[in-house]
Amino acid sequence: MLSFDLHKRKVLTLFLLLLFAWSLFGVNWQEGVMHSSGIGPAAEIFAAMFTPDLSLDILILAIESSWLTLAYATAGMSLALILALIIGILASGVLASGKRSRTYMKGSFRGVLGFMRAIHELVWAWLFVASFGLSPYAAIFALAIPYGGILGRIFADMINDVPEEPILALKATGASRLQCLFYGYLPSVKNSMISYTMYRYECAVRSSAIMSFVGLGGLGYQIQLSLNDLHYDEVWTFIYFLIILVILIDGWSNMLRKRMQL
Amino acid sequence: MSNQNILEINQISKNYERKIALSSLSFIVEKGELIALIGPSGAGKTTLLNLLATILQPDSGEVIVDGKPITQYADQKKRAKKIGIIRQQFDLVGQLAVIHNVLAGRLADWGFFKSLFSLFIPQEKQVAMKALERVGLPDKAYERTSNLSGGEQQRVALARLLMQKPEIILADEPVASLDPARADDILDMLTKIAKEEHQTVIASLHSVEYARKYFTRLIALKNGELFFDLPAEHVTDEQLQDLYQLKELK
Ligand SMILES: Nc1ncnc2c1ncn2[C@@H]1O[C@H](COP(=O)(O)OP(=O)(O)O)[C@@H](O)[C@H]1O
Ligand SMILES: [Mg+2]
Repeated sequence: MLSFDLHKRKVLTLFLLLLFAWSLFGVNWQEGVMHSSGIGPAAEIFAAMFTPDLSLDILILAIESSWLTLAYATAGMSLALILALIIGILASGVLASGKRSRTYMKGSFRGVLGFMRAIHELVWAWLFVASFGLSPYAAIFALAIPYGGILGRIFADMINDVPEEPILALKATGASRLQCLFYGYLPSVKNSMISYTMYRYECAVRSSAIMSFVGLGGLGYQIQLSLNDLHYDEVWTFIYFLIILVILIDGWSNMLRKRMQL
Repeated sequence: MSNQNILEINQISKNYERKIALSSLSFIVEKGELIALIGPSGAGKTTLLNLLATILQPDSGEVIVDGKPITQYADQKKRAKKIGIIRQQFDLVGQLAVIHNVLAGRLADWGFFKSLFSLFIPQEKQVAMKALERVGLPDKAYERTSNLSGGEQQRVALARLLMQKPEIILADEPVASLDPARADDILDMLTKIAKEEHQTVIASLHSVEYARKYFTRLIALKNGELFFDLPAEHVTDEQLQDLYQLKELK
């Protein structure tokens, strides 16, 4: 049995390698990949890396856009977290009464989560902007849906990986399914949930910046405007702000993690 | 008469695929008895305890708890008042504070909102602290359970059982992973508390010494069958030798 599994794994590895090799042939290396005018703009862009524009109005604009990017990411993540907790717990099937209803519940809610994350946040953003126009809600929902799907799926998996013994012991003390959830499953996965949510929050900040290309405002939007005007030094100011945001969140999540380990 | 018999086990059998774990086992337990289940590993002790705790279902036969078939205790909360089980250490939720693991013994009596609220402000704290005092851990109430040693965790599980107050305590190798001093400590505590609360205990043990020291009746299993069932002081060394002998001489 084991050797069969190992064998299967090797076949899978080989298949993936072949797929990768084939994909390289799929790229048209001759045209399109490189900028037609050659190395010029690239050199300019990278030279500007060392001379970001630090004038006061650009800094103020950068701070404002960072704030907007962070605000969208935070609101989107908060909503995503609520969605993920509710749907993720349902998708773990631990609240189902029998075996049949558990399978049914797991299948259907995992399906919902799959649908939510199958569509990229940018696509959701386009859809929402097309339907409601440029409103903050478009950005927040566009983030919340796929991130809720990703978090929910991971939460459901984490809950399903909780060791069985403590839960059985709780049931033996007469705990109901909801009581088992709050005394067994959730305390067991709380720390991993927080860590993973923080990691995703970092990703959400980046997504939020990108999403502003759609026209929702924020760091990405400013980068796009400056790029169009060929103001590469401004571009780098905004990029550095984005990096600072991500580093700050990373620091915060490290602090949280340390405190949880006590 | 049937009031005295807290537990009747009638011809229960249990197979795992082709393997016979228990074959047609019967015995009767009176209220307040302290019973040690002994026998070589693989004899069926864990299977028997899990059947009594309804973690497993028997293939045939029935278990009667306090005059009523165990299958009629459909309500998990009522069953928890009759039967409680304590196993090896990994039975606690490691990430919870000790006091919440102890209070989990009250979940059968608590509604959902009370139990949720208690995670923020512990309810019935005095009772829980008293239970922790009885097992000798009054100063560990707010520590994270996984930070406690094995012996301490086993005492927390005992405190939880004190809160649950089942009439019958099942214990599967409760001291298997503890050093001898701790093991003595736990067994002493378990049997003393059970006597004080008039509880019935059925504990599986791998050590015959402990069985003789703390329990009044020894039930020996071998290959899923009853090997002997005697008062502790009547068990002879010869019988024990037979019990643990690898192959019977024919
Ligand atoms: N989940 C299981 N699947 C298959 N066989 C099992 C399982 N659990 C126990 N057994 C078998 O049933 C027999 C009794 O096991 P158990 O009740 O654990 O014995 P003990 O606790 O006395 O060591 C053993 O032969 C064991 O191999
Ligand atoms: Mg066993």
